[in-house]
Amino acid sequence: MPARIRNEFRPTHSLTRRDFLRSAAATAALVAAAPATFAQSAPTIPGKERLIVNSYRFLDLEMPLEELHSWVTPVELFFVRNHVAEPFAVNMDEWTLSIVGEVERPLKLTMSDLAKLQHANVVNTLECAGNGRSFYEPHVPGIQWRRGAVGTARFTGPRLRDVLMRAGLKPTARHVAFRGLEEPPSAVPQFIRSVPIEKALDPHTLVALQMNGATLGKHHGFPVRVLVPGWVGAASVKWLREISVLDHEFVGNYMKPGYRIPAHPVSPGDEVRPEDTVSLTALNVKSVIAHPAEGATVRGQVRIDGAAWAGENEIVKVELSTDGGQNWQPAQLGSEQAKFAWRLWSLPWRPQRAGEALLMARATDSAGRVQPEAPPWNPAGYLWNGWDKVKVNVG
Amino acid sequence: MSARPKLAWFVLALIAAGGVAMMAQQGPPLPPAPIERRVRTACLECHDATIVLQQRLDKKTWAKEVDKMVRWGAVVDAKEREAFVEYLSSNFGPDKPAWTPAKKK
Repeated sequence: MPARIRNEFRPTHSLTRRDFLRSAAATAALVAAAPATFAQSAPTIPGKERLIVNSYRFLDLEMPLEELHSWVTPVELFFVRNHVAEPFAVNMDEWTLSIVGEVERPLKLTMSDLAKLQHANVVNTLECAGNGRSFYEPHVPGIQWRRGAVGTARFTGPRLRDVLMRAGLKPTARHVAFRGLEEPPSAVPQFIRSVPIEKALDPHTLVALQMNGATLGKHHGFPVRVLVPGWVGAASVKWLREISVLDHEFVGNYMKPGYRIPAHPVSPGDEVRPEDTVSLTALNVKSVIAHPAEGATVRGQVRIDGAAWAGENEIVKVELSTDGGQNWQPAQLGSEQAKFAWRLWSLPWRPQRAGEALLMARATDSAGRVQPEAPPWNPAGYLWNGWDKVKVNVG
Repeated sequence: MSARPKLAWFVLALIAAGGVAMMAQQGPPLPPAPIERRVRTACLECHDATIVLQQRLDKKTWAKEVDKMVRWGAVVDAKEREAFVEYLSSNFGPDKPAWTPAKKK
C-alpha cells in the first residue's frame, strides 16, 4: 500500500468515509504484520548498520569480528552498551559539567572551559565487562554478548586530574563518582559509578570530548564521557554531567551488587554474599580471532589474524593452535601499540589436510597472566577470557 | 475541505507512525500464551523483547530476575508472579537452543 500511504500527506486530497476505512485497514495490517517481518528484516541502527543488535531499547550493539581490520576501530563499527535510553538532544547553551563533593571550590564548567584546558590523546581498548557472557555455562542473565563488545579508539580531551585540580581536592578525597544525563525509567537506578582517586588522577584518565578525532557521537557519550583506560567499559561513564568527589566508594546498584565478581571461585547455584565479592577494575588478558570467520571455507595459504589486549598490562605473546590444542605456535604481533590498546597479530597457516579444523588463540601479558582455556564461572558472567575458538572448513 | 477529514488523516498518520515506532520499541514478538499480553505490558514498558528472547535461565534465576524488575518498577500483580516465572522459564530455559541475533542484510 505504499501509494496509499503517500496519499495521506497530500494536502488537498479529500477524504471519504470509505477511504478512511480502507486506510485504517491498511494501517492495521501494516502494524499487525510488523512482528512477522521483524525476523526477516530487523531494523538497523543508523550509522551502526554493520553491528549485531543485542537490544534495540536500550541500544546494545556488538561488532562482528570479521569486521576487525584495523588497529583503531572506526566509530561505525564500535560497540554500544547502554543500560537505559540515551539522553534526548543536549542543549549545549545550558549544558555544564559540575564538580562537587570533597573539593575546595565546587565548579560548573562549560564546553568552552573544557576546550581551553590542555588536551591529551589516549588510544584505548574499551571492552564491556560482559563481553563473552554467552559462553558461560550455565547461562547467566544479561545481554548475551559474544565476542564483539570490544573496540579500540583514540580518545581526546582534558585530563580528569586537571579538571579536579581546578576545583582543588580536599584531603578527604578518596573516590570520584560520575553521573550522566540519562533519565532511567521508573525505579531503575541511575548509572553512577566511581573510581579510586589514584586512577582518577592518573594522567591517562580523561574527560573525553572526542573519539577518533571527531566530536563524540550520542551512542558514545556526547557531549563528554570519562575515559578510564584499561578498565572495564562501565568505568567510562557516558553523557557526563556531574563529577562528585567522595570520601568513600560510591554506594549504588552499579557498584554493588553490580560489576563485582566473587573473590574466590564459586559453583553455579552458590549464594555469593556481597562481602565475598570484589569490584571489577582492569581488564584481563584476552585474544580473539577475527579471520578466518567461524564456518569459513579456507584453502591454500591462509592468514589467521586477530587482536589481543590485557587492560593495564602489555601483551607479550599470542599463541595459535590449528589442531585443537595439541600444538601451539607464536603469532607475529603488529607494530602499532599504545599502553592501553590492543595489539593486532597474525599467523600464516597452510592447512595440511581437508576437513574441519579448530583454530584457538591464547595470549600472555607482561604480568605473566595467560588466557585460560575457560575462566572461573561467575554469577553475572563478567570477564570471559577463555581461549578463543573458531571452526573452519579446509576445502 | 472541512476540518474533520484533516483530523482523520492526522489520526491515521499518527496510528501509522505509532505502529512503526512500536515495532522498533517492542522488538520481535514474544511466544503466544494466555499470560503473554501481561508479560508484554510489564516487561516491554522499559525494554524491547530481544533481551528476553536471548536469555536461557532456569526457574530460580528467572524468579530472581522478575523480582529485581519489580523492585525497579515493573508492574507485576503478585498473583501473577508465578505465571510470569513459569512462562519465562518454559520459553527461555537452559534446554532451549541458543539464541541467534537477527541477520543483517
